Amino acid sequence: MEHSIAIRDLTKRYGDFTAVSGLTLEVEPGSICGLLGPNGAGKSTTFKCLLGLARPTSGSIAIEGAALTPATFEYLGYVPERSALYEALTLDQHLEFYRRCYARYDAARANELVDMFKLDRKKKVGRLSKGQRTAVALILAFSIRPRIFILDEPASGLDPVFQRLVLDLMIEAAAGGATILFSSHQIGQVERAADRVAILKNGKLVVNGSVDELKTTEKIVEAIFATAAPDVDGLASDPRVRRIERSGRILRAYVSRDSEAIAQRFEAFSPKDVSIMDLGLEDIFLTAVDGRDATIPHGDKA
Amino acid sequence: MPAIFTVDPRSGVPLYLQVIEQVKRAVALGTLSPGEQLPTVKSLALDLTVNPNTIARAYRDLERDGIIETSPGRGSFVRANGAPGEARRAAEDVAAAMLAEAIRQAKALGLERERIGALLEDALGRWFPAHGEE
Repeated sequence: MEHSIAIRDLTKRYGDFTAVSGLTLEVEPGSICGLLGPNGAGKSTTFKCLLGLARPTSGSIAIEGAALTPATFEYLGYVPERSALYEALTLDQHLEFYRRCYARYDAARANELVDMFKLDRKKKVGRLSKGQRTAVALILAFSIRPRIFILDEPASGLDPVFQRLVLDLMIEAAAGGATILFSSHQIGQVERAADRVAILKNGKLVVNGSVDELKTTEKIVEAIFATAAPDVDGLASDPRVRRIERSGRILRAYVSRDSEAIAQRFEAFSPKDVSIMDLGLEDIFLTAVDGRDATIPHGDKA
Repeated sequence: MPAIFTVDPRSGVPLYLQVIEQVKRAVALGTLSPGEQLPTVKSLALDLTVNPNTIARAYRDLERDGIIETSPGRGSFVRANGAPGEARRAAEDVAAAMLAEAIRQAKALGLERERIGALLEDALGRWFPAHGEE
């Protein structure tokens, strides 16, 4: 299947600083991929390259199998990190601009969206709040019924009611076949809307896979001993172990897969109890950005 | 219309498994009757605010497990034959796993087999009163 969005071996340097390093990320048609990462991990640089706002140092970007051209924007909806809006124009004037520029512009849909976000059409965008400007950018993006969405923090500045509305709009679009790549600092949004998640750290991809597969394989294996927790040989260098915590009689391993096998290794030291605990995406995220710096692919069988 | 059930996206249990368990539970409890139509993938995804592919995957697995059947263009339905039996078996699997986990934890707390057995009898007595006493 042709990928709707394909980033291949993308590197972007600014002088001596490498913002993105060897990033390969593909999003299939109909999928919603959430991009997570701490500040400065390279999310916005990736989005700039995707939208043609920054030139990759090396690597390539393909949208529906082709390099980015002005025609791509006919069916691509985007929200950049800093809103690309005209301060002196009203929302109505922005919509008029879109009506003239985009063949796919859907006036009825745009009006629905304006009502949903309860915006004043006659106010200059320069006088709107941060959240209202995000809403304007979203209305414009969704008004052309895109096949592909590239949304850099599409819920930033919005209150919880409108944040949920953004998720609903993304879910509705994906159910209709659209493909979405979005970034967020709110892991709960990714956990709901996305079927895929990619986590960046220092410009590198550290986790990439299906959210459900990650939850199936990422576990905490915890053993409690009668005396001080033993040194388990080779545990720290085991590629399946992301992090180890040892505290008195407790030994905890954050593992990326094979939790049962790790639990069996602990059993060999006759602990009082061994349990395997599930991890939510927030814990998976924190473990991945805290732990060792390695690419751990996941869930490609899904 | 409210969603036919709820899920917890923050949980470490994969969402598609939560959907599968909720549907099986609804069938075992009779909340969903044999032959009854399930919401479309899109409407359930919107009701629960979760990814549509996740719902679609749950529906595929439920079909494979003989709980629902999908006919193109008409939608997904609880299977008229066999679904309650399959759902009951699935519910037993879930119950067995929960009981096993409870026993594991009781053992880890240092309880002997006989003591755990006595506690189970007590608990059974509370939910199945007067068993064999009248």
